Amino acid sequence: MAGVKELAEGVGRAHPEPLNKSPEQVDVEMEKRKERIEQEIHTNKKRSGSLEIENNYTPVTYDDQYILMVNALKKYFPIKGGMVTKTIGWVKAVDGVTFNLRRGTTMGLVGESGCGKTTTGRAILRLGGEKSGGQVLFNGQEIYDLSPKEMRALRTKMQIIFQDPFSSLSPRLPVGEIIGEAVREHNLVPKSEFNDYIDKVMDDCGLQPFHKDRYPHEFSGGQRQRICIARALALNPEFVVCDEPVSALDVSIQAQIINLLKELQQKRSLTYLFISHDLSVVEHISDVVGVMYLGNLVEYGSTADIFRNPLHPYTKALFSAIPIPDPKAKMNRIVLEGSIPSPANPPSGCKFHTRCAQCMERCKVEAPKQIEVEKDHYVVCHLYDK
Amino acid sequence: MAEDVKNVNENKEEQYSLNDDRRVKVLSPGALVIKRFLRNRLAVLGLIMLITMFIFSFVGGMVVPYGQDEQFYTYTYLDKEYVGVTRNNDLRYAVAEGQQFPTILQAQFLLALGKGNDTFTYKDVDYKTVNEGPDFYSISTADGTMLAIAYKDIVNAADGMAEPSFSVKYEGLKAYVNGASSFVADGKEYQLDEDSNILLDGETIGYISRFVVAARENGVVLTRDFKERLEEALDSGVQEFSYTGEDGVEHTYPISYDASAQVWSVKEETKTYVYSSYEKPSLKHPLGTDNNGMDMLVRLMYGGRVSLIIGFIVVIIETVLGVIMGGISGYFGGWIDNLIMRLVDIFYCIPSMPIIIILGAAMDNMQVDPQIRMLYLMLILGFLGWAGIARMVRGQILSLREQEFMTAAEACGISVSRRIFKHLIPNVIPQLIVSCTMGLGSVILTEATLSFLGLGVKFPFASWGNIISDVNNSFVMTTYWFIWIPAGVCLLITVLGFNFVGDGLRDAFDPKMKR
Amino acid sequence: MAKKKAEGYLSAKESRRISKQNRKITNELEKKRKRKNVPESEYLTTMHDPNNSVEFDNLHTYFFTDSGTVKSVDGVTFEVPIGKTVGVVGESGCGKSVTSLSLMQLLQRPQGQIVEGEIRLNLGDKAYDVAKMPYEKLQDLRGNFVSMIFQEPMTALNPVFRIGDQLEEVLELHNKDMSKEKMKARTIELLEMVGIANSEGVYKMFPHELSGGMRQRVVIAMALACRPKVIIADEPTTALDVTIQAQVLDLLRNLKDKINSSIMFITHDLGVIAEMADYVVVMYAGRIVEKGTAEEIFDNPAHPYTIGLMASKPVVGKQVDHLYSIPGKVPNPINMPNYCYFKDRCEMCVGRCDGAYPEEVSISPTHKVSCYRYYADAEKGGNA
Repeated sequence: MAGVKELAEGVGRAHPEPLNKSPEQVDVEMEKRKERIEQEIHTNKKRSGSLEIENNYTPVTYDDQYILMVNALKKYFPIKGGMVTKTIGWVKAVDGVTFNLRRGTTMGLVGESGCGKTTTGRAILRLGGEKSGGQVLFNGQEIYDLSPKEMRALRTKMQIIFQDPFSSLSPRLPVGEIIGEAVREHNLVPKSEFNDYIDKVMDDCGLQPFHKDRYPHEFSGGQRQRICIARALALNPEFVVCDEPVSALDVSIQAQIINLLKELQQKRSLTYLFISHDLSVVEHISDVVGVMYLGNLVEYGSTADIFRNPLHPYTKALFSAIPIPDPKAKMNRIVLEGSIPSPANPPSGCKFHTRCAQCMERCKVEAPKQIEVEKDHYVVCHLYDK
Repeated sequence: MAEDVKNVNENKEEQYSLNDDRRVKVLSPGALVIKRFLRNRLAVLGLIMLITMFIFSFVGGMVVPYGQDEQFYTYTYLDKEYVGVTRNNDLRYAVAEGQQFPTILQAQFLLALGKGNDTFTYKDVDYKTVNEGPDFYSISTADGTMLAIAYKDIVNAADGMAEPSFSVKYEGLKAYVNGASSFVADGKEYQLDEDSNILLDGETIGYISRFVVAARENGVVLTRDFKERLEEALDSGVQEFSYTGEDGVEHTYPISYDASAQVWSVKEETKTYVYSSYEKPSLKHPLGTDNNGMDMLVRLMYGGRVSLIIGFIVVIIETVLGVIMGGISGYFGGWIDNLIMRLVDIFYCIPSMPIIIILGAAMDNMQVDPQIRMLYLMLILGFLGWAGIARMVRGQILSLREQEFMTAAEACGISVSRRIFKHLIPNVIPQLIVSCTMGLGSVILTEATLSFLGLGVKFPFASWGNIISDVNNSFVMTTYWFIWIPAGVCLLITVLGFNFVGDGLRDAFDPKMKR
Repeated sequence: MAKKKAEGYLSAKESRRISKQNRKITNELEKKRKRKNVPESEYLTTMHDPNNSVEFDNLHTYFFTDSGTVKSVDGVTFEVPIGKTVGVVGESGCGKSVTSLSLMQLLQRPQGQIVEGEIRLNLGDKAYDVAKMPYEKLQDLRGNFVSMIFQEPMTALNPVFRIGDQLEEVLELHNKDMSKEKMKARTIELLEMVGIANSEGVYKMFPHELSGGMRQRVVIAMALACRPKVIIADEPTTALDVTIQAQVLDLLRNLKDKINSSIMFITHDLGVIAEMADYVVVMYAGRIVEKGTAEEIFDNPAHPYTIGLMASKPVVGKQVDHLYSIPGKVPNPINMPNYCYFKDRCEMCVGRCDGAYPEEVSISPTHKVSCYRYYADAEKGGNA
């Protein structure tokens, strides 16, 4: 708390009246937008020649303390256009993300909407097609090299929980079937124990046996999220991607689900990748935090380090924007100009330079590299490039 | 006000705490849909309408004693023109043997008669006329050679007798006008009785009468007796005339007189064995009979059966094709999707009505068997109609594919076939059912339209459309309401029923399942 | 265990009976509402305190559904002082949005009805009771005196009209004799006021050309077009990112001071409330469980629900091992118990909690709570 407060005040001094400037800022933003659009048109013309995706990275070697090693992962989505639908460009949703995740820990992934955190989560699980570049090693195994059959078998080890508990449950199946379907599919438990097993999983997730015959529409949001968790855990996974699991829930329900997730993690020694835009929740649940901006991790380190000592200007701005439930807290914050640029045509150099208050000439041309400022605290910013 | 409200929920048993989940009855999505559907009064009405039509069409056909193309016959009395009678008002001419009395002389004679002259001249030859009695003249040359006679009372030959000779006619008529009872001609003595019969040796060889009686149909020989009786009847001016013929059956002949033509026409009532067409509703035929003497109610039932079966088969063909094409298109995407969707676009462009009409006409020409024709009709309609369903299914699948539960299924490592059949298809079915239900109504209408135009279901098969097509003029429409109103009502009820049920289903399926 | 008979689901017969009853009630209310030429005296009222711009007094808004009567708002009393921001917090379904919709008369009728209570709206020289006002009359006040900012900036703007046209439409509704040029000048002024610098450009843009934050600014400009006395902000930042949320909140705060209006700020985010509100109203299951100034509520939360709510939200910089979570769930809105609604979930129950729903108790002149735990304190305080 103290860290953030000081930070907020400190930054506040640097920008005493951020709001009065806002018209000019917005003006600037509009100018930049225009520029960007022109640039986009310009590059679109050139693009046709350079549709190759760059994919040069140094392969990592497996280290068995890490359950998951992500190295320079890229996931681009094609922009289709023209008469005969042809790829004319790429939306660089994930553009070179590198991190390692220790067994039994939780990594929080934060960022604004559209920064690629959800896509990262799905790309790690090989959901939604092939990667565009980089490596994803799960227990040392490159998952994109597996055959569909092997991949299906591996799916029991890695699971996902979604944000929207309404659309993530098939409306025409009873809950017991939703939870047990994959268990049966993979023959995880013998037939005779199947019912007991499902009951046990449901019990672990705070559901009662009589819920089995019911359909998703009869449940409230919190209970649905429990069903989603039960579905994921029924496969007895080692690693779970939680994609904003509590964003759609009420505060009191949020607490229940967060507690449940933590409890289950201890019980089953799970590893989580916890994706959220809610920093307070991430701080509460994570051991390690990564901050994403426009497809890149801009800062990455242990929760304590990051919240105590945020380095990247974007992280600082993000943290200062969190509303603090204390009416006496000082309202000094860094107001970021505008919103996140389009990932189809990210700014040159450092992608944050269009909104950065500490932007230098160098940032506009040269993309910064990952720098380890403290032990296990990485930042991608020229400010720390000594 | 608030008090009223509070009372509503008071008498509930309090076994569980108020917000215990178990208090709520478990309802599967299907049961929920049914519950919501049954709450919709209009939809239930539609369902009742449909069930009624189904029972009517399918069970009805089995219950009624008649077959679909069973024809009914009846005797009808037809007033046929039998005899025409005219009173002779023109002068007729009989020419003496070996003489000439051409038309031109007849004209000169009439001219002279008109002037009151008893002589006339033509081509320097003088002719003399003698008025022998009323409307009876003899014409001779100046030298007294008898040329011809002109008369209005006609000397007819008796049945089976030869035409009387000139002198018989002349002498006979002379006797007739003078009231003599016998006369001599050609050296024979003839009697003339009171009935103006000419007898020779007691045998009737002819008779004299002012009336011309002629049968209207060829080959009908009228007896002298009949003619005489008829003349008597005409003289007495009655409207009807009975005559007992040789077979001993008494016939009644109505007589009508056309004053302008001065013709009596005598009609004969004949009993005919015919199709009992356009019979009015009766106990035997509750909705009457149609043009061909078939029971309308039975035709309606079988017609309904045909209409419904065609509707269902066409929709099944459409759906199967549509689901397969749309499913492939939506699930696999890419160039397949592109190809199928362009195909759909093309099918949308095909003007289906003209095509069906042309094909119908072609089948008419080739004289395709009505049963085979029905089959073709279904195939054509089905084949032309799948595009809409394919597009809908594709859209549904595309949107479902993006749903998180599909991703979740993938993340759980569930196989592709199971993903399609267990997760995807059940979620497409609601929309499919709704669009099929609505489609049924429109297919039935299309079929009716085609049958009405004579291009769909053909006789002897009934269909509501071709039943209505019996009504092709305003006379039939206004007179024989029982032909087209019931068929129209059936069509209305069925299509309305399908639409009500479809609307109800759509409302019931409407996924407002989020609480 | 579960007796079949005890299942509380509605039989078809019962449900028919309820809907029949509902129709009777709603028809009566609708008939009353649809009368022509309601005399002004009928809804003319006086404010209890002229410094308030809105006073909700014992408001009851019910929804007559087929499965029973949902008492969405069941006796809510609070006031919005002139120039202040009142934050309404609560979980989804607690009736906070229904309260604001009642004020705007935007309830889904005929199911949703105000069955009791007054909503007094201060128009300066007089006051109207919105609950009894005819719809057409209120139409004149909407935008002029009360306006609303919705949660979704995407759906609040019509995608086929230009921003300028949409703003001018609102202006035109209430200033019929404004000239075209003046209107445009005012629109651009408004856009500038909400911090859109390129106002001339935005004036000609379509909603899809703007980012979420910009859109929300436009929506705010629309709400402020006629300088309303009361602004209802229904979760205005929930759909936005934190950084954009910060921008919008700053904007709202500054604008409120500029045009001196009151804001009724509805949210479920305690952090946002703390930042924005002068007064806080905490709602639970259709009733107010606690209200007071922001400081009182956040420093000294009194109701167990408020306490639970605050404890269940992790706070940046405050590490706890286990988040507090309120046990159980909100009672069925159709079948509310006759004791304290929170009792089944409350971990601080006292003996008296078995009694009827607790009356409001004052802890301080501004701080009021509906909980038996403070009865003794209040009595003591009253005696002293």
